[in-house]
Amino acid sequence: MPAVFLGVRHHSPACARLVERTVEELRPAQVLIEGPAEMNGRLDELLLGHELPVAVFSHYRDERRAATSWAPLCDYSPEWVALRAGRAAGAEVRFIDLPAWHPAFAERTNRYADAEIRYAEATERLCRHFAVDSSDALWDRLFEVEPDDGLADRLDAYFALVRGDAAADAGDRARETYMAAWVRAAVGRAGNRPVLVVTGGFHQPALRALTEPGGEGCAQDECWEQDEDGWPRVPAPPKGAMAGSFLVPYSFRQLDAFAGYQSGMPSPGYYQRVWDAGPEAAADGLLRVVVERLRARRFPVSTADLIAARSLAQGLTALRGHPSPARIDVLDGLAGALITDDLDRPLPWTTRGALTTGVHPVVVEMLAACGGDRTGRLHPGTPAPPLVHDVAARLAALVLDGGTGTSYRLDLTDATDLERSRVLHRLRVLGIPGHGRTAGPEHGADPVFTERWEAQAAPGREAALVEAGAYGATLAEAAAVALAERARAAAAEADDLAKTLFDAVVCGMDGFSEQLLGELSSQVGGLRTAGPLGGILATALGLWRHDRVFGMARGPLLASVVEGATARLLWLLEGARGPAGVDRPRLRAVVAVRDTVVHAPELLPVTRATVAGIARRINDDPEAPLDLRGAAFGLHRALAEEPDAFGDPADAVRAVARAGADALGDWLAGLFALARDEVTGVVGEDGPGGGSLIDVLDGLIRALPDDEFLAGLPALRQAFAFFPPRERERIAGRLLERRGVRGSSRSLLRTTADPLLIAGARTLEESVSRLLARYDLGATP
Amino acid sequence: MTVRNETRGGAPDDGAVAVQRPPAEVRYADELAALRADDRDPRPPGWELSLRAARRFIVGDAGTGIGRKFVGNPSLVDRALVTLATSRGLMLVGEPGTAKSLLSELIAAAVSGDSTLTVQGGAATTEDQIKYGWNYALLVAEGPSTRSLVPAPMLRGMAEGRLVRFEEITRCPLEVQDSLLSLLSERVVAVPELTGPEGMVFARQGFNVIATANTRDRGVNEMSAALKRRFNFETVFPIPDLDTELALVEAEVTTLLRRSGVEPPPDRDVLEVLVGTFRELRAGAGDKGGAGGSDRPTAVMSTAEAVSVAHAVGVRGWFLRGEPGSAADVVACLAGTAAKDSPEDLARLRRYLEQQVPRRHGPQWKALYDARHLLAD
Repeated sequence: MPAVFLGVRHHSPACARLVERTVEELRPAQVLIEGPAEMNGRLDELLLGHELPVAVFSHYRDERRAATSWAPLCDYSPEWVALRAGRAAGAEVRFIDLPAWHPAFAERTNRYADAEIRYAEATERLCRHFAVDSSDALWDRLFEVEPDDGLADRLDAYFALVRGDAAADAGDRARETYMAAWVRAAVGRAGNRPVLVVTGGFHQPALRALTEPGGEGCAQDECWEQDEDGWPRVPAPPKGAMAGSFLVPYSFRQLDAFAGYQSGMPSPGYYQRVWDAGPEAAADGLLRVVVERLRARRFPVSTADLIAARSLAQGLTALRGHPSPARIDVLDGLAGALITDDLDRPLPWTTRGALTTGVHPVVVEMLAACGGDRTGRLHPGTPAPPLVHDVAARLAALVLDGGTGTSYRLDLTDATDLERSRVLHRLRVLGIPGHGRTAGPEHGADPVFTERWEAQAAPGREAALVEAGAYGATLAEAAAVALAERARAAAAEADDLAKTLFDAVVCGMDGFSEQLLGELSSQVGGLRTAGPLGGILATALGLWRHDRVFGMARGPLLASVVEGATARLLWLLEGARGPAGVDRPRLRAVVAVRDTVVHAPELLPVTRATVAGIARRINDDPEAPLDLRGAAFGLHRALAEEPDAFGDPADAVRAVARAGADALGDWLAGLFALARDEVTGVVGEDGPGGGSLIDVLDGLIRALPDDEFLAGLPALRQAFAFFPPRERERIAGRLLERRGVRGSSRSLLRTTADPLLIAGARTLEESVSRLLARYDLGATP
Repeated sequence: MTVRNETRGGAPDDGAVAVQRPPAEVRYADELAALRADDRDPRPPGWELSLRAARRFIVGDAGTGIGRKFVGNPSLVDRALVTLATSRGLMLVGEPGTAKSLLSELIAAAVSGDSTLTVQGGAATTEDQIKYGWNYALLVAEGPSTRSLVPAPMLRGMAEGRLVRFEEITRCPLEVQDSLLSLLSERVVAVPELTGPEGMVFARQGFNVIATANTRDRGVNEMSAALKRRFNFETVFPIPDLDTELALVEAEVTTLLRRSGVEPPPDRDVLEVLVGTFRELRAGAGDKGGAGGSDRPTAVMSTAEAVSVAHAVGVRGWFLRGEPGSAADVVACLAGTAAKDSPEDLARLRRYLEQQVPRRHGPQWKALYDARHLLAD
């Protein structure tokens, strides 16, 4: 008897219902499910009685690559229903797909991601035909809200169309021939009894073709070995590689397409309600939850709004020809009735993919309500995920397993202690209680080389470890995934991002995870203020160049941050606007850019000449803040091949001074922050043109009227504060020399009284002499 | 009076040749007639078409040969139509050049068979341009009567049960905007000068309002909460997907160029670079993942603008050198678009060319980068 193929969409209540019904009607001898075949010996583990969602977590590592992937299962997953109902009906149940570590899964982190999304042409055509926005809306329209009769035929037609003109890639091909081998073996063993095959709909047409009696069979190189029972052998990982699969708890948040990558269906909370109670009840429930959430956030939702949302949703359901309200009908109704602003971003359910920033708060609440907050829990009898063993082994190997109250003093320059520190930090970023750091470096430029840690009482440690097991098989992998998630959540918050970056450094995350790398550099590219970004760049550059403690020098993690931050900074600086005054963090950011261009040009996509050109334009831009223009002048001199082509600093100073003493002070602050040596030449003995700037400044300042001088004094003082004391002393010496006065230049710098007091005295003196002059009392000469 | 219906053309054969741009119900008269003939679905009271037929008219239907007229999200059209069938008005907001007015015209043509009941909002719009005014000669001669009353679009729309379009509503003074309040909630306009039943004009079934507002001039934030509450808001976005936008630009530009006597069709790679540049600038280039607000140019980077730049590029290439427009022409023409209002935008464009373009691959992107010096300093 030929096999019965059910092509399903992962995480679809309609497909799950279909599987349940089919198992009941067919009473199959064999149920074959798309799932990691290496779990076949341990299917009982899956049926221990967990609270769903849970996931089969697979990990792999060899010298070349490391990969982790998940196969998430929830109540309404067709795969889960096939497993559960198949067992209940007395069938032999098997997973028939390749193990997750197989190269066929390269780049994929979710086994149950929608394959048809990768072959978008057909779905796009269908979307246009049915006039819907996205493949999710299309799916709901065709399958979820329609009555169940004829569902199997419609699914077959749909997947044949999707698969139709798409050429499957080599990975798909390998998986399909492997699954087909299982199907042939099962059909052979089942004799006259039926075999049910539940796979992703995308693979179903190919499987059917591959298993047809008298069909093409398998080509020579695609044949899979068989074991002694006649089943295809589960490929073993290559020698020296580490691989395995375990059950871990999963959550709706991880499952939600709006929250992350490569997930199956969006809005798992909503579909759970569809599965539990049907689409009508789910729509009502969604409306209620959204309104409750909004009211809890003090967002006014009036009864009239509710009526409008309800009637809009009903109208949309009718217009779109849905027999019962679909997810987007309810969401569209709510959005139409509740949002009375213009939106920055299109409604997220009209596209596909993770949420970006700038989404309307009402929409965020709506999606949170759709997503649900259910978190799975494993049955206590489930074997612990590999992370638990990895952590225990590591702590023991590094002698960090002392009891509560033990304290560890770690010298970070010692290789073993550094490894210990990394392990403890990784545990910390995973949120696993048990160790607390009482002292140590606080940020990347902190010259502290020792850390103190203390073992603390840790209630809930085991549970936290099992939960963290969903992030990875080894401590390092899990920490990398957790950090990438944190970087994503830190969107546009410089402080959080800097902390995450530093955590990545202390955890020794260099070159560990492409995902973390990409996440950090793209988040850096999203920051909006130059100052904090400059801080991140300076620290990252410093560590990239010099770090010997954390072992991060010249590593890819910092390189990508340096690149992203510099590109973003150049962008921000050229457009910077702002009030007068000196923005020191921003000046430091310009310094960081200079240092990057000078010391790490190989990391940058822009050339030195381009940066010099940008600097030149900033300086020429009359709208730019003066301190930044001064800094740009300095940056240009520091980078340009012919700095003098741009003009003599002395001329530039004269031009700026026309705008007033405080403008001059701001401009000088910027200049001195960037290029005090190049410009003043006070460090080297009188270089070419060196010193002349000081002369010009002296002349300008002497010519200032008293009140203007006083007004500009704070800004000027701030500018000269960029010189270290020794250089200030030289400047003072030079000024004395110019006036032909002999004396200690040091005493000029160290006044006996507070400068404020002196300034106050001067003001008083002046107003007295003005008063005297007014009454013609003969001012003292 | 700023009622536009004097320009209404009638059927295409009786002199509409002279009309530069006939209204949608004339341009698509055949399609509307065909849809009306086949329409079996229930119609809301006062509507010329059912919701589904109206939707097919706007988003197109390959099966019956109805062309796609609006390339935005179909769900937006769904929401707009359902809103109009309820008791709330429809407010279309968005950047200039996102085809808001086109959408409102199409909806009015489909729903009422008439898209000309239009109030054009502006700083000088007064209440009599919205509700009614008087023919003063008749008013003096005969006193107030229905003969001397000159109905404005709102009054006509209410009396005839049609959709009324209110363009650029936020450009009207706030007090004028608020004159819509009672009209939208009570659905009646009192004409106190007239006595008897003529003194009250009740809205017939089928009356509703489609307002448009652009987010650049004066956003919807200043609008009173009372008025906001009487509208459902729909934000119209620029075309979300590159291929659709590229195809649209290509089609439009090819027509325009032919009309301008330019022989070669536009180079597709150059168009791709141009449209890509517009899209990135529009989204706030250099801002990966962020909301982009601060980096967006103040000039309008709409699809319509892309078409006009592409047109200029083609004209320039052909008449200056006798070849299709190149990436260098794109830079030269972009300077005109982006620097229209402000030097800030020119700086943004330069930053984009210098810092973002070198990250892109392909010969035309490289040519664009190499031509960056064509932007005047």
